[in-house]
Amino acid sequence: MTVETKDLTKYYWMGKEKVVALDGVDLKMEEGEFISVVGPSGSGKSTLLNVIGCLDAPTKGEVYLAGWKVDYRNKKSLVRLRRKFVGFVFQTFNLIPALNAVENVEYPMYFNKAGRSKSERRENAMKLLEMVGLEKRANHLPSELSGGELQRIAIARALANDPKLILADEPTGNLDSRTGESILNLLTRLNIEEGKNIIMVTHDLESAKKMGKVIQILDGRITDK
Amino acid sequence: MKELFALASRQLGRKKLRVFLIVLGIAIGVAAVIGVTSLGEGIRVQAVEQIKASHDLTTIDVSAGVEEGSVTLITASKLKTIEADERVLFVAPYVKDSYVTQNKTYLAVKGITREYRRVQSNLELEKGDWFEEGKKSTEIVLGYDVAKRLAVIEDLGIGDEFSAKIRLYGEEGRPKDKTAVFKIVGVLKSSGDEHDNQVLVCIREAMELDEKDAYDGAFVKVDDPAFAASVREKIEGLGLTAHSAQDVIDEVNRLMVAITLVLGFFSGISLVVGALMVVNTMIISVYERTKEIGLSKALGASDFDIMKIFLAECVIIGVIGGIFGDLLGIGFSMLINIVGKPFLVSALGAELGAGLQSGSITVITPWILVAGFAISLVLSIVSGLYPARRAARLNPLDALRQI
Repeated sequence: MTVETKDLTKYYWMGKEKVVALDGVDLKMEEGEFISVVGPSGSGKSTLLNVIGCLDAPTKGEVYLAGWKVDYRNKKSLVRLRRKFVGFVFQTFNLIPALNAVENVEYPMYFNKAGRSKSERRENAMKLLEMVGLEKRANHLPSELSGGELQRIAIARALANDPKLILADEPTGNLDSRTGESILNLLTRLNIEEGKNIIMVTHDLESAKKMGKVIQILDGRITDK
Repeated sequence: MKELFALASRQLGRKKLRVFLIVLGIAIGVAAVIGVTSLGEGIRVQAVEQIKASHDLTTIDVSAGVEEGSVTLITASKLKTIEADERVLFVAPYVKDSYVTQNKTYLAVKGITREYRRVQSNLELEKGDWFEEGKKSTEIVLGYDVAKRLAVIEDLGIGDEFSAKIRLYGEEGRPKDKTAVFKIVGVLKSSGDEHDNQVLVCIREAMELDEKDAYDGAFVKVDDPAFAASVREKIEGLGLTAHSAQDVIDEVNRLMVAITLVLGFFSGISLVVGALMVVNTMIISVYERTKEIGLSKALGASDFDIMKIFLAECVIIGVIGGIFGDLLGIGFSMLINIVGKPFLVSALGAELGAGLQSGSITVITPWILVAGFAISLVLSIVSGLYPARRAARLNPLDALRQI
C-alpha cells in the first residue's frame, strides 16, 4: 500500500499560543516500505502518525492511503479507513485489562467482523498469537504478562483486521533494550515476510538506521539527515 | 449481540462490588414499589371479595331511563323483551306510591311480585302471612317499623282493616283522591333496609289502584354473574337505566388503582436514587475507561459501537436489578403482610378485620413483577444514555493521551 502526504500541516492552540506540530510535510511511502520517523519530543512525529492513522485531522494538506484521498470531515469514512487499512501499536501497549490475551487480539475484529463467524475470529486471533510466539499465553490477563509479551500481543492485535499499514508509536519506549530488540525484529519480520508497510516513530536513531528508510522531523518539518 | 453482552459482563465482572451496590440500590427501589403496589392490590382484592360476599352480582337494578329530559318508562313490553333473553332468569318489577290513612299517616307502598321476594331474600315474615290477590279488601304486609308505628298511632294490627286515600293526578294535573280498604295480613321481620318502612302489596292490585301502566323499577336476575354486564348493556340499549353491584366493584377498583398509583409513584422516588447511582457509576466508568475508549476507536470502533458497549452494561445492571428487585419485593410484601396485617385487623375492628384475618393483605400479581422488572431495565438504560453518549463522543486522540 502506498501512503502519501502533501503539504501536511497541523496547528494546535495551547491557550493563546499557537503550536506548529506539522509544517508542510510531504511524504511518499512505497509498497512494502519500512519508515522510521525520528526526532526529539514535540517535533510532531506522533502527530504525523495520528493524522496518517485517521485519528487526528490536519489543519491543511492531504493524505492519500492506497491512492484514496482521506476525507477528514467524514467521521464514518474515517472509521472505515481505520478498520480496513490501519493497525496501531502504542508505546504503552494499551491492552484492555478485562480481556485475556486472545480476546485482546480478537477485539478489533469485533468492530470489523467482515463476515467472519465468532469461531473463525477466535481461530484467526490464535494464529496471530502463534505468529508472535504467545499462543501459550492465550488465556492470561494483561496483568499476568511481561512488557515484552504485552507488546507482542498488541502487535498481534494490530494485525487483527489484516491491515496493510502498521503505525507504531515508540513501540520499544517502555521496554528494556533486549526486549525492545525482539520487538523490532518482529516488526521487521512483518515487513519482510508479510509485506506490511510500517511507519515507526522512535527516539532511537541507531536502531532506526537498521530498519530501512529514516525520516527526521524537527519542528514539524522533515529535515535532510 | 451475545458477544456484546459477553464483553459487557466481562467489564462489569471487574468491579463486582460496585455493580453489587448499584444493583442493590435499584433493587431496593423496585422492591419498595412492588411492596406498596402489592399492598394496594391486596386491599383492593379484599374489598372486592367483601363486596362480592355481601352483594348479589346476578341482580341488575333497573329504573326508568332519563336522557336529555325525556323519560323512558319501564313498560310491560320492555320487560318482556328483557325476560325473553335466555341469560335472564326472571324479571321482578315493582311500583311505588304513597297512601294516606284517615289519621294522616303516610304509608310508603310498594307493589311487588313473587319474583321480587326471591330477589330480596331477606324479606321474612315475623307473623301472619303474605298477601293474596283478589280479596274484597286489598291485602297488605307491613314493614317492621311501619307495623310498630301503625300499632302505636292507629292501634292497627294483623287482621285489621283500614281505609286510606290514594292521590292520583288527572290529565290536567288536577289531584283526584280515591279511597280504598286495606287488610293487614302480615308483618315483616326487621330487614335493616328500606323495607322496614314500606308497605308491600301485590303489584297488580297496586297498579290498578294507582291506575298506572308502567313500572317504577325492576330487578333483573341473570343466570350467572358473568352475564350481568352484557345483559345490563342490553337493558341500557332499551333506553333504561341499570345498576348492579359491579358498579360498586368498579368504583372500588378505580379508587384503589388510583391510590396504588399515587403510593407507587411516591415510593418510586427511591428509584430516582437508584437511577442517579447508575448515572454516577457509569460516568465514573467512562472516566476510568477513557483510554480504553480512545483505544477502541483507534482499533476501528465507531461512536455507535462504544455507545452499545456502555448501554449493554446498563442493560445487564438493569436485568440483575430487576430480578433482585422482584425477589426483594416479594420479601418486602411478605413482611408487610406479617407485620402490617395484625395492625390493620385491630385498627378496622372485629367485623371488618375478620375478613382480612383469613386472607393476605398483599397480593403480588405477575403483572406487578413484570412491571418491577421493566422499571429496573428502563431506568438503567435511560440512566446510561448520557454517560454512553459522552463516551461515544470522546475524541480518540484526547482519550488515548490520558494517563
